[in-house]
Amino acid sequence: MAMIDVASVVTGSVWKIEASVGQKLEPGDVIMILESMKMEIPVIAEDGGVLRELRVTEGVPVAEGQIVAVVEE
Amino acid sequence: MSADPQAPGAIAPPEPTGWEPELEELRFRREQSAALGGPEPIKRHHDQGRLTIRERIEGLVDPGSFQEVGRLTGKGDYDGGKLTGVVPAPYVMGLSTIGGRPVAIGGEDFTIRGGTSWSGDRKKGGQGGFVEDLAHEYRIPLVNLIDGAGGSVTSITRRGHSVFPGVHGFEQSVRLMGEVPVVCAVMGTAAGGPAGRAILAHWSVMVKGTSQVFAAGPPVVERSLGQKIHKEDLGGAALAADLAGTIDQVAKDEQECFELIRRYLSYMPQNVWELPPVVRTGDPVDRCEDALKDIVPRNRRRPYDMRKVVRWIADRDSVFELQPSFGKAVITSLARMNGRVVGIIANNPMVYGGAIDVKGARKQTHFVELCDCFHIPIVFLVDVPGFMVGRDAEAAATLREGMRSVYVSLQATVPMYTVVIRKCYGMAGMGATDKNGLDLKIAWPSAEWGSLPIEGGVAAAFRKEIAAAPDPRAREAEIEASLRADASPFKTAEAFGVEEIIDPRETRPYLCRFIDAAQGRLATTVGRKPKYGVRP
Repeated sequence: MAMIDVASVVTGSVWKIEASVGQKLEPGDVIMILESMKMEIPVIAEDGGVLRELRVTEGVPVAEGQIVAVVEE
Repeated sequence: MSADPQAPGAIAPPEPTGWEPELEELRFRREQSAALGGPEPIKRHHDQGRLTIRERIEGLVDPGSFQEVGRLTGKGDYDGGKLTGVVPAPYVMGLSTIGGRPVAIGGEDFTIRGGTSWSGDRKKGGQGGFVEDLAHEYRIPLVNLIDGAGGSVTSITRRGHSVFPGVHGFEQSVRLMGEVPVVCAVMGTAAGGPAGRAILAHWSVMVKGTSQVFAAGPPVVERSLGQKIHKEDLGGAALAADLAGTIDQVAKDEQECFELIRRYLSYMPQNVWELPPVVRTGDPVDRCEDALKDIVPRNRRRPYDMRKVVRWIADRDSVFELQPSFGKAVITSLARMNGRVVGIIANNPMVYGGAIDVKGARKQTHFVELCDCFHIPIVFLVDVPGFMVGRDAEAAATLREGMRSVYVSLQATVPMYTVVIRKCYGMAGMGATDKNGLDLKIAWPSAEWGSLPIEGGVAAAFRKEIAAAPDPRAREAEIEASLRADASPFKTAEAFGVEEIIDPRETRPYLCRFIDAAQGRLATTVGRKPKYGVRP
């Protein structure tokens, strides 16, 4: 099974974490919501899988391209 | 001394009655040319997952349409005056058709000396080569399949002097950019001249894993900077296309690369003196996609999928997104509406709420110029809060690149249509309008506009009043609510400050009518677009 790094497409901060480690994710499920430019930007498990790692916590800043979660497909 | 066959009494060899010997030599020379660098280099090339130049051309063009030019070029080996073999020139080119329309096509043959340049009386490819002259003289698209190492310092030994860069030819490459579609595909490792040529294109593509592009490769980088870096990290698709936007598109393999080239050219006219081809898709002009009604969330903080908006408005299956992996705050697509080619520029609320960053601005600038050059009307689907803000954005010169994009839009003369989906603020919003033309702006009921978003402006404009209030937060919210009521798009429509508010489902039929009507006007403005002024 492949481990997929999930990166933030924006610079901003983590507003809400919606999924927990070990949770099974369907394609398109929201892992967390970032806040950037006053918008809520969802971070999505594009192909689904199992959430193996969360690399950020609520409130922390994230940079564009930063790996925020790891999903096992 | 040999006997004189003309001498009296000599036995003359049988005189050929026709041209068989020459035709036999021609056949032999063609065979040598078709063999490229020979079985071993071809095997090595195939083992790397790469096709030969002849296989590439065959895979790309309409079957059987390739008419090669310059098949006999190369270096002949002679034994006592008799031809024993020919090492072909490492460049294959000619005339062909793609989608039934003529193109000039050529590319390096990597199996011969890595496709390095070749010195004949006349250049076959590259800057100012025959293939470029063919595109220019016949006003047909140029397709470059780049897989060559370019110049080499060893040429100094061969020539006895070093060549001044460029000499003649680059001016032809530049001229073509204003005349015919130029497509470059990087099919291997391109450094220096070939890499530069890959950029001198309206659209470029590379193959993931097997092509790289850079000003100079790892040995030069190590010598110059002491950096040890693998060629894939220096100029593979992840860097050259996704991060830097040096190359526009990435194909997963060579077959997909050919499909992308064919697709791109299907939207292009043959030259700037023609309009793009009309292809009826059978999608009804009056199709009103129901899902458009509620795609924009009422919660202004929630983004939505702008690509769906693009797909639902354009003719079915007609959307071809350019630079999908670069500058993601802006989505640029070629598409068809009632069969006619349009360029769609859409802000992407999923990335920085649609704020235009330096990469998005660069992408938009190129796309507007592309559409203007080839007389392709532009549809702006606007949801832009402004230019990207913050220290990083300022350090990257977002303002300059953003204003360049606004400048180019305001100079363009193709018809433009503005559809305000949600936010339309500031200079970035102005850049999405047709100030040189009809300036037709239609909006959805979810639209809002101004010089800057209310939430950002209230705190600054009412600072003292908010600070003096018993509950400053509540007062700020109160002022925001009152301003928002006055900012209703319907009030601007009352004043004809925006030409129309429409039901989102009406977007496609509304636009199609205007795009159809603009065709006569477009026909009056074909030809080269004059360039004047200085971009900021």
